Amino acid sequence: MEAALAPYVAFATKAFAREATYRIEVLTEIGSLVLRVYILRSLWTALYAQNVAPVGLPLHSMITYATVAMLMSLILEVDATRLIREKLREGTIATDLMKPISVPFYFFSDGLGQTALHALLVVPSLLCALLLVRIDVPSPATFAVFLLAFVVGYGVNFFLNFLMNCIAFWTLETFAAQLIVRWASDLLSGQIIPLLFFPGIVGRLVFTLPFAAIYSTPLLIYVGVIPPARWAISIAVQMLWLVLFAALASVVWRAASNRVVIQGG
Amino acid sequence: MRSLFSPEYEERVAVGDVTFALEPGELVGYIGPNGAGKSTTIKMLTGILVPTSGQVRVAGLVPWKSRKENARNIGVVFGQRSQLYWDLPLIDSFELLRAIYAIPPDRYRRNLNEFVDILEMSDFLRTPVRQLSLGQRMRGDFAAALLHGPKVVYLDEPTIGLDVVAKEAIREFIARINAERGATIVLTTHDLADVERLCRRIVLIDRGTLIYDGDVDRIKSEYGRFRTLVVRFSEPVVQPELEGAQLSGLEDSSARFRFDRNLVRADRLVRQASERYSVEDVSLEEPDLESIIRRIYIEGYERRPEEGAS
Repeated sequence: MEAALAPYVAFATKAFAREATYRIEVLTEIGSLVLRVYILRSLWTALYAQNVAPVGLPLHSMITYATVAMLMSLILEVDATRLIREKLREGTIATDLMKPISVPFYFFSDGLGQTALHALLVVPSLLCALLLVRIDVPSPATFAVFLLAFVVGYGVNFFLNFLMNCIAFWTLETFAAQLIVRWASDLLSGQIIPLLFFPGIVGRLVFTLPFAAIYSTPLLIYVGVIPPARWAISIAVQMLWLVLFAALASVVWRAASNRVVIQGG
Repeated sequence: MRSLFSPEYEERVAVGDVTFALEPGELVGYIGPNGAGKSTTIKMLTGILVPTSGQVRVAGLVPWKSRKENARNIGVVFGQRSQLYWDLPLIDSFELLRAIYAIPPDRYRRNLNEFVDILEMSDFLRTPVRQLSLGQRMRGDFAAALLHGPKVVYLDEPTIGLDVVAKEAIREFIARINAERGATIVLTTHDLADVERLCRRIVLIDRGTLIYDGDVDRIKSEYGRFRTLVVRFSEPVVQPELEGAQLSGLEDSSARFRFDRNLVRADRLVRQASERYSVEDVSLEEPDLESIIRRIYIEGYERRPEEGAS
């Protein structure tokens, strides 16, 4: 078992090291995050002064929501499997397929390595953000459930990106498709605006979409809008999306590897 | 515009009629013009492309049915793309490969030391790959492909873009791997000097079809019957003629005569020339593999060149 895992541990370690070579980029990320936290604080404070607050989400919860969402995005915005489309375009996926490894697991472990590096940024970013805003501290139980929901949401997001990048097997270019899904996800995941703000039937619909599993569910658990009584069902819904997306990813991967076309080879 | 809305797909047979077998330890040149189907064959041999019909076996395995097992037996070098980690020091790629192939530590160290020594890599082992020169990167790629001691090695244009010194170093390394480790090597290249230096046997394909499979020497003697005698006159000659040879080029005061060495002897032609004209210098051109292959690409290979030759 240990020997079977060794290559994947090595992939993750090398991905971590590779990401770490771009130090400036990593540092800019923290700077940009702090700037965005500042903008959002000003924005929400102004909006709340105009009395647009939805029921049950006071300003301090809103600012907490926005700041935690920013910290989550440090990890969730890493397109961990972009390697797929890069390798397809360059034709280097051929050399990976010529190795005695499971190629999807290679991409997964590489993605985990990248994620690990970006996760390291959360604490310094949080410290910087705390110079600008004050955020609510939840109970340990709430925080633990939030972390669980975040991990499941990470999985959903991971497979969503994986599926997007697999489009490259058919088109080699995925920019347009990814942009559309990205916009939809920004809006419908609750990353920028809590889904509570959507009115009427749309408001109910957005909670049933898979995007809600990525940001909205963990964040609403954190700020207490989802009460302990509904923790189990919320995470169960997330899990459902995770299983569904993972199954879809496996089907798509099988179809994709059946039509490996190596460009210019 | 039309192709945007209704893309047209044309079905093409990339590799149709190609049959050959290799003995363990053989080093064979796999040759053909661009688009002949060489890379397609390599893809099928490595298990990443499934043929619509036909059979492929590598060391007893059907590559695409047991891709991972087959991968343990093979090593691949692409001259045009690297398998090394671009941003990381060269040694990191080797360590990764140690994990991928689960190479035992002592064997890893032995192989690595040997390759670092032969390929003179010690100076740049800790340099990020993106900072290496093409020659250094190629040496790194060779080591990467061979660290796990593969039985079968595919080399796809391994000397492309290298300078003469680097080329020779790579050729020497290939010969050495073949001789000392007994690896079976399929060498795809457009540089026929690689083949002349390394291979006894070539497999020649064109448009997905096998057109020659045999000794380099045989193809040379079949096509090499025609030689060229170059004569330089001390003064310009209008229409020089030699019996038994054809004028194939005339430039200033030097003429080229093509002749069949089975029909006329070179020394007779030389004597003839010096009797008729005032000759300053003569030289004889042997056809090299490159010119032979070029003719085959253009005219097609015929089993009996006596009949088809002009």
